[in-house]
Amino acid sequence: MSVLRRVGARVAALLAVASAGPALGADAAAGAQKAQVCVACHGTAGVSANPTAPSLAGQPAQFVATQLLMFREGNRKDPQMSPFAANLSNADINDLAEYFAAQKLTLPAAGVSTDAETGARLAQQLNCVQCHGPTLMGQQHIPRLAGQQREYLKTQLRGFKAQTRFDMDGQMTSAAQPLSDTDIDALANYLAGLR
Amino acid sequence: MEISIRTGQFRLAHVAVALAAALVFTSAWAQTPAAPATPPGAQPAPAAPAAPPSWQQGRSTEQATSTLHPFAPHFTGRPSSGLPTDKLKVPPGFKIEVWAEGIPEARSLALGDKGTVFAGNRNLSDVYAIVDRGGKREVKKLLAGLKAPNGVAFSKGTLFVAERHRITRYDGIEDRLDSPPEAKVVIDNLDPTSQPGHFWKFLALGPDGKLYFNVGAPGNIVNPNYLQAAIHRVEPKTGIMETVALGVRNSVGFDWHPKTKQLWFTNHARDWISDELPHDTLHRVSHKNMNFGYPFCHQGDLLDPEFGKGRSCSEFDPPALKLGPHIAPLGMRFYTGKMFPAEYQGNIFVAMHGSWNRSTKQGYNVMRVIVDGQGKATLKPFLEGFLTDEKGDPPMWGRPVDVLVMRDGAMLVSDDYNGIIYRISYQK
Repeated sequence: MSVLRRVGARVAALLAVASAGPALGADAAAGAQKAQVCVACHGTAGVSANPTAPSLAGQPAQFVATQLLMFREGNRKDPQMSPFAANLSNADINDLAEYFAAQKLTLPAAGVSTDAETGARLAQQLNCVQCHGPTLMGQQHIPRLAGQQREYLKTQLRGFKAQTRFDMDGQMTSAAQPLSDTDIDALANYLAGLR
Repeated sequence: MEISIRTGQFRLAHVAVALAAALVFTSAWAQTPAAPATPPGAQPAPAAPAAPPSWQQGRSTEQATSTLHPFAPHFTGRPSSGLPTDKLKVPPGFKIEVWAEGIPEARSLALGDKGTVFAGNRNLSDVYAIVDRGGKREVKKLLAGLKAPNGVAFSKGTLFVAERHRITRYDGIEDRLDSPPEAKVVIDNLDPTSQPGHFWKFLALGPDGKLYFNVGAPGNIVNPNYLQAAIHRVEPKTGIMETVALGVRNSVGFDWHPKTKQLWFTNHARDWISDELPHDTLHRVSHKNMNFGYPFCHQGDLLDPEFGKGRSCSEFDPPALKLGPHIAPLGMRFYTGKMFPAEYQGNIFVAMHGSWNRSTKQGYNVMRVIVDGQGKATLKPFLEGFLTDEKGDPPMWGRPVDVLVMRDGAMLVSDDYNGIIYRISYQK
């Protein structure tokens, strides 16, 4: 048994909430305040202009909440995100999730990449719609892919393939295994171009 | 920075040329097994091929384009104030209210001698203690950093917790909710393979003083090893383990009949056969060495399309009751409380987590199982209202996991989707 776990198992009284107390969160206005620190990388109102940082606008609230929690708990790791998530309460996370889900992802028209056809074929082959929704707009704890930053998508797919990216049930890790680097590029280009 | 990169490439190119030359000139060595370039363990072994998640395993080729997928809980919990709790429906005379919230992914429940309610986690890693203080509930995160601590059981001052890989005990816990003692191991090494599968556990104390727990199947439809797809029990003092029942795909709820003292349990059947088959089931353990059929036979009378070849369902013990396809029965308890009307005495209450592997969803409720004098069981809905749209994605706003009868006879129901515990009471 690791020392960490032993210490962890003795943590007590981290949370004390009376059932009749104030609501635990899900307040988009409060989320807007808390989201000020996100702007530098994720853009104003979650519309990212940074190729390596994902847009958060229009993502399902449950997806944003799940990922922030996983960063906080150390399941998903990122040198930039992990410290930001470390001190968030569940209520903070719910507020941020509500806020970003309520923002619109407005994007300029996208040019069609030369490998868009390959990307579309791969997306169909991999049945991405099963979890990401009929138009790949995300649903529940599963992210929107349509219009996401392409470099970010590539990094995630490479991470899944290398089995280094956090994956709740192994679905994405499994899906990414047969993909070549060229496939990953084509898929990311196609998804990033979706409107 | 650019310069150093170029330098690096330059050096690498030289090394490559030198290596190629060496290979050309030493081709005779090719017959000799090459020594590993680096000693074993010096660098991570290449990752094992990633299998599809266990929920996807066993799909047919035609089902590869299915849009059915499991639902994840809201891991940070959701406040009841934003939820349609007024839609919850119980029979006339009964009342349902939010008893406690802010217990993310509240799963199995246990009741302490002094009234503390304990709640475990499956995907998350915590165990909570909920204490009633003058009509208000105080929620404490009691234990953290555990491995899928889904199972909680309580006896004579001790809280037992079933993690993925072990069962532990916390003695005198109710006097030490703010500084819990170190875990003492009852039994370890229950998860030798560390692979995906149904390895979170339900835990309950039998009338024989032994701890009963499940080890599920390692996938949707897979041949289990000697430890898997079974219910076992362990003697808490000695750690001696025995197998109670075999052929159980995954049971996440059991209880003992108040009179016969026989073990009854719920069981999840396999996915990806069809919307209507097979049924999830309720079982009664009447003797030793019973085998309920997995992976060969489901619901007592349906041979598995693959594993059933050359087998017969008559080799196995049938269920006591078919509960419905993909309905996902979890916690179950016999009602022995004093509060509900007489007709509820001895009924089994079953929490139905609800289907995902079905195009028309069902479950997401608490059902009542009435067993008559002849042993015939019938099903009646008891708590409904979580299911909002049977074709929706998601189809529900909450999911019952466990039921717990309190000392006053009221019933608690946990909801892991929102991290809420409800209380159902009855007034004449």
